[in-house]
Amino acid sequence: MQQNKQLKRSDEPIWWGLFSAGGVCFAVFLPSIILFYGLLLPLELVILDYKQASQWFFGFWGLIFIGAVIIFPAFHSLHRIRHALYDVKFQQKTLIKWLTMGFAGLLSATSLLIWVIGS
Amino acid sequence: MELEVTIQRYLPEQSSEPFNQSYTVPYDTSTSVLDALTYIKEELDPTLSYRWSCRMAICGSCGIMLNGKPMLGCNVFLRDYVQTGMLIEPMAHFPVERDLIIDMESFLTHLEAVKPYLISKDSKESVQSFDPHNQTPRQLDKYQQFSSCINCGLCYSACPQFGLNPEFIGPAALTLAHRYNLDNRDAGQAERMPMINSEEGAWSCTFVGYCSEVCPKSVDPAAAVNQSKVTSATDLIFSLLGGRS
Amino acid sequence: MSYRPTLTRTWWLKNTAFKVYMLRELTVLPLLFFLLCLVKGLYSLSQGAEAWYLWLAVMQNPLVMLINTLALLASLFHAWTFFQLFPRVMPLEFGGKKVSAPALVAGQWAGVLAVFALVAWLFWG
Ligand code: SF4
Ligand code: FES
Repeated sequence: MQQNKQLKRSDEPIWWGLFSAGGVCFAVFLPSIILFYGLLLPLELVILDYKQASQWFFGFWGLIFIGAVIIFPAFHSLHRIRHALYDVKFQQKTLIKWLTMGFAGLLSATSLLIWVIGS
Repeated sequence: MELEVTIQRYLPEQSSEPFNQSYTVPYDTSTSVLDALTYIKEELDPTLSYRWSCRMAICGSCGIMLNGKPMLGCNVFLRDYVQTGMLIEPMAHFPVERDLIIDMESFLTHLEAVKPYLISKDSKESVQSFDPHNQTPRQLDKYQQFSSCINCGLCYSACPQFGLNPEFIGPAALTLAHRYNLDNRDAGQAERMPMINSEEGAWSCTFVGYCSEVCPKSVDPAAAVNQSKVTSATDLIFSLLGGRS
Repeated sequence: MSYRPTLTRTWWLKNTAFKVYMLRELTVLPLLFFLLCLVKGLYSLSQGAEAWYLWLAVMQNPLVMLINTLALLASLFHAWTFFQLFPRVMPLEFGGKKVSAPALVAGQWAGVLAVFALVAWLFWG
């Protein structure tokens, strides 16, 4: 560590902020969401008909859902993938950052776009 | 009672590769690993090199890897390793000079880089005056836990991020920076932030948390490092809002 | 003269603490799969009733359900680790006193239950 080296501010606070918000969502919202949408719904233990679903998801609450259940968790997920890749010595830092954060951004934009089209 | 102790040796003048060597050491309930090393050096093999000083977990100079875990040799006893056996290696992630002696240079420069001393409000000098700096118990409470570090470096041997990137300023140094930032007598946070804000600062940490597990003084460096991330994120927001940079 | 051993790709297999760390990091893989399911579901929903029921059928695929079961377990394991970290990263004070870590952890689990109650009420209420 050269002390006189010019220290550059990292942009990591942005990604870490999204990661943390997503971590809270993953821990607090996702257990119930996965249980109901990923398991009980396919098992037909709960029902959700088309009309009901499209009204709810393409309304205000759908937007909240997309933020809390898709966008933040997506950034959480890809942030961890990004750092886990570094941990196992895939250390092309810039490329991996673009790929992972880009993918999270793409997922977010896609869901928002679907919401706009659907509502 | 006797226990076989295996030590990873490195004698650069003999061979360029480290090798393992086993010794049989007598022990009783109070024999520490440091005692065992001393016994080996005095009775069995004077070529063995290792560091120590206080024998009571205060000076922080006797760090080793014991069965892969960073520990203070004076703080761990042979009686607890009868079942598993003992493999003693030099502290991980540091360059090894010979046997259990590692080169701590990078650790020391990392510590220095965070300006781990009180920086006074009125001058850029560290506090020199002999005036008392009174503190309330609550003010002391804010940083006290983070001030018990003995600079043993075990947390660096526990940290894979330091292992992957020796430029990472590391747990103990970031903890020390945080400790002074939390001290109400100190006004040096602005000078420490560039280091903390950088990629080699707090942002190399992925909260593995093993540093806190191995710390012999329960400093919880992982907590300090991650609290620094909050400080650093706040600092970024302030700088974007055009406040302090 | 000195040597510095370098870490191999598999360093995290060398001790339990590191394996648990990697497990925690990898909880995001089944999560990502579930998120992709959701985005697909949302898209189907925008495409009309037929597409929506087709998506429901895909969600019934045993392999999909298996991964989503993993995602559920992953979310709980993640919650367990994440809730413990929170009081260490952001120690909270209340009325001049530090809130105890177990209280903060319990509070977060209460949040999980509250969300469960809310979702259950939306479906069953
Ligand atoms: S924080 Fe703990 S493990 Fe790290 S150098 Fe200080 S006393 Fe040693
Ligand atoms: S000899 Fe001082 S800490 Fe072990």
